[in-house]
Amino acid sequence: MFEFRFPDVGEGIHEGRIVKWHVKEGDTVKEDDILADMETDKAIVEVPSPVSGKITKMNFKEGDTVKVGEVVIVIAESGPQPTIQSAQPTSAQAPQSASAKSSSLALPKQSATALLSGPASALPRTAPPASAPASVSAPSSAAGVLATPSTRKLARELGVDIAKVSGTGTAGRVTDEDVRRAAGQPTVAAAQIGVKAPPTPAPFQITVSEGDIRIPLSGLRKIIAERMTYSKTHIPHACGMDYMDVTRLVMLREKEKKSFEPRGVKLTYLPFVVKACVIALKMYPSFNSHFDPDKGEVVAKKEINIGIAVDTPDGLVVPVVKNADRKSIVEIAQDIEHLAALAKERKLKLEDIKGSTFTITNVGSVGGMYSTPIINPPEIAIMGIHRIRDLPLIVDGIMQARKVMGISLCFDHRVVDGALATQFMNTVKQHLEDPDLMLVEMI
Amino acid sequence: MPISTVFEGKTEYMQILDKDSKVDAELDPGLPDEVLDRMYRLMVLGRLWDHKCINLQRTGRMFTYPPLEGQEAVSVGSVLAVKPEDWLFPSYREWFIYHIRGGPLSMVNMVWMGMEEGMKLDKNLRVYPYAIPIASNLPHAVGAAYALRMKGEKCACIAYCGDGATSEGDFHDALNFAGVWHVPCVFVICNNQWAISVPRKKQTDSETLAQKALAYGFSGVQVDGNDVLAVYKAVKEAADAARAGKGPKVVECITYRIGAHTTADDPKRYRSEDEVLYWRERDPIKRFLFYLEKKGIWSEAYEHKIHEEADRLIEDAITKAESFRQDPKEMFRYVYAGMTRNLEEQMKECFGEEGK
Repeated sequence: MFEFRFPDVGEGIHEGRIVKWHVKEGDTVKEDDILADMETDKAIVEVPSPVSGKITKMNFKEGDTVKVGEVVIVIAESGPQPTIQSAQPTSAQAPQSASAKSSSLALPKQSATALLSGPASALPRTAPPASAPASVSAPSSAAGVLATPSTRKLARELGVDIAKVSGTGTAGRVTDEDVRRAAGQPTVAAAQIGVKAPPTPAPFQITVSEGDIRIPLSGLRKIIAERMTYSKTHIPHACGMDYMDVTRLVMLREKEKKSFEPRGVKLTYLPFVVKACVIALKMYPSFNSHFDPDKGEVVAKKEINIGIAVDTPDGLVVPVVKNADRKSIVEIAQDIEHLAALAKERKLKLEDIKGSTFTITNVGSVGGMYSTPIINPPEIAIMGIHRIRDLPLIVDGIMQARKVMGISLCFDHRVVDGALATQFMNTVKQHLEDPDLMLVEMI
Repeated sequence: MPISTVFEGKTEYMQILDKDSKVDAELDPGLPDEVLDRMYRLMVLGRLWDHKCINLQRTGRMFTYPPLEGQEAVSVGSVLAVKPEDWLFPSYREWFIYHIRGGPLSMVNMVWMGMEEGMKLDKNLRVYPYAIPIASNLPHAVGAAYALRMKGEKCACIAYCGDGATSEGDFHDALNFAGVWHVPCVFVICNNQWAISVPRKKQTDSETLAQKALAYGFSGVQVDGNDVLAVYKAVKEAADAARAGKGPKVVECITYRIGAHTTADDPKRYRSEDEVLYWRERDPIKRFLFYLEKKGIWSEAYEHKIHEEADRLIEDAITKAESFRQDPKEMFRYVYAGMTRNLEEQMKECFGEEGK
């Protein structure tokens, strides 16, 4: 069995896409017969068979991407083969294939010359001389389109035929934006993946003295930097803060903590906060929406998906508890524990961090009373919760030691106003101060 | 003061065997059959080998490789035209000339398989290592020609470059020194119309590349580079004159690169299929085949025979090259005359203490 691994057919390429198979499983091939047309960042190339034999397995379909080193095809070798096939008296092979070309050189003269000159008979004698500038014909294939490899990749991912996209870049270059537009993606998507603000020179100078070290931002930090800059420069943030008397919640949690243990999940306060937010989001759906500033429209989201900001050594990531309104507190707790573990191991998949409609950032484990978190665009608001501490409060006219938690809500003032935000916060506060109320709202 | 013409130049074009194999009887150098036979065998071998090398690269057995197809007549015609004592300074696409000179095919395979031993060329064959940078070999050739003359050797240097190289500073430096010193050097410009994706027209506004010699005080000639007889005749005359102390010369060979620039290139992105077909009609091997048939040299049996011979040679060359085992420590050893501390550490990391 010969396992043919995809080689680096260019100069330092990492992967290629199968444009066309010239063979199928069960076919018998000779060494140098063309197996497939493969497209790399640089070129579309014909990949010939390194051995002769029968194809027993094909691991990829047309359109699939193959990494260099992956087994493309398995061939059962038909005995030791000479490196070069002697001339075969058949020219039925594709005339473009190198093997066919070379072997038919040895044919009777007519065939040999026909081959040497290519399909020249169909050629007008007045073909343009080579020195004429290469005619830039209308792009009939992806290869003729001006676009960077990353744009081509984006087009493939979005299922856009790049040949049909009209480019707005220099010399008709197709840009990422053109591809997204062709894919019918709203511009809001651009915000979701982090819009790069045009680089403006910083209005200060950094002096680097001896002993100072310049550290480039890591990949994740760069994304955070871009998104936060976008959010803070494009969204008019307003912030409300309050404190909550969560004494009863603490008692509830202490009481029920044990009963959670057999289920293999640690009960924290966060699932209760998520649940309280879900109740508030249902009452004030403006907070469970996305804002599309280009169209001047708010997209009210059907699902309630709560993003949970998780601190990792590389930086903040926001995995999403999907359909939080249809989950019990214990299910939410399980989700959070699972997602946080994935985040710490950097194993989150794209779908784990997509689609959030509201975000909660839990600073409680670290400290602080209040904060002004930054909205996760295109969402409308973000809520910060903080460490529970013992503070004196006046309850029923008597000063008591109570468990107190700070709550902060930052919201997009274009979409909602302070009154509504306060009502939203009050609803959250009400349910966390009196967890029995959540029972009333339970589905 | 009246205005007078102080310089007037002309550049000639020569073709002996046209694309339809009609031969100019007056210009035909009348080569003996065994030379014609050798020319044809070599051109066919060059093409078959070229196709095989592309396949080797596509199956991961060879690294980046520059295809030769379409330009066989330039390499074969020019090398057979000069004497064994003449030195050759090839560019990377002239890899074939080491074999034409008598070197083993396997050495060339080794070069493109990434083994530096493939560049350990036999000094007696008088082939300088292939220049991968553009035009860097031209000043070397001029310097060598100057040195050889000082040593009293009666030989010429043949330096190869492409159309793109004529825009390089090194090309002009080399031609200027060659003219001033009057050295025995022949510059063979392999004008294959494309410098990767830059067409000849964008390379220079000069009508020909050969005429560039005029500015440096000597002459140039343009020939049909797909006509092996014209290449042979032009290079022979230039080399003979150089050896006789008549100075340098440029021979511009008009040819075409049928294949890609290298295996990492996709020519479909910058040139039309019609253009390739136009040049396929002017194939150097095809026209020579009919010429040989008229001379009674070519037959189907002959074609079969030389193919079998070529297949054997190629198979043998690949086996030899692939069975060569390179010592990976050499990549550390020969970066500098002596190994630096960093390199020593790196080598130790790869091979352990005993690796030294």
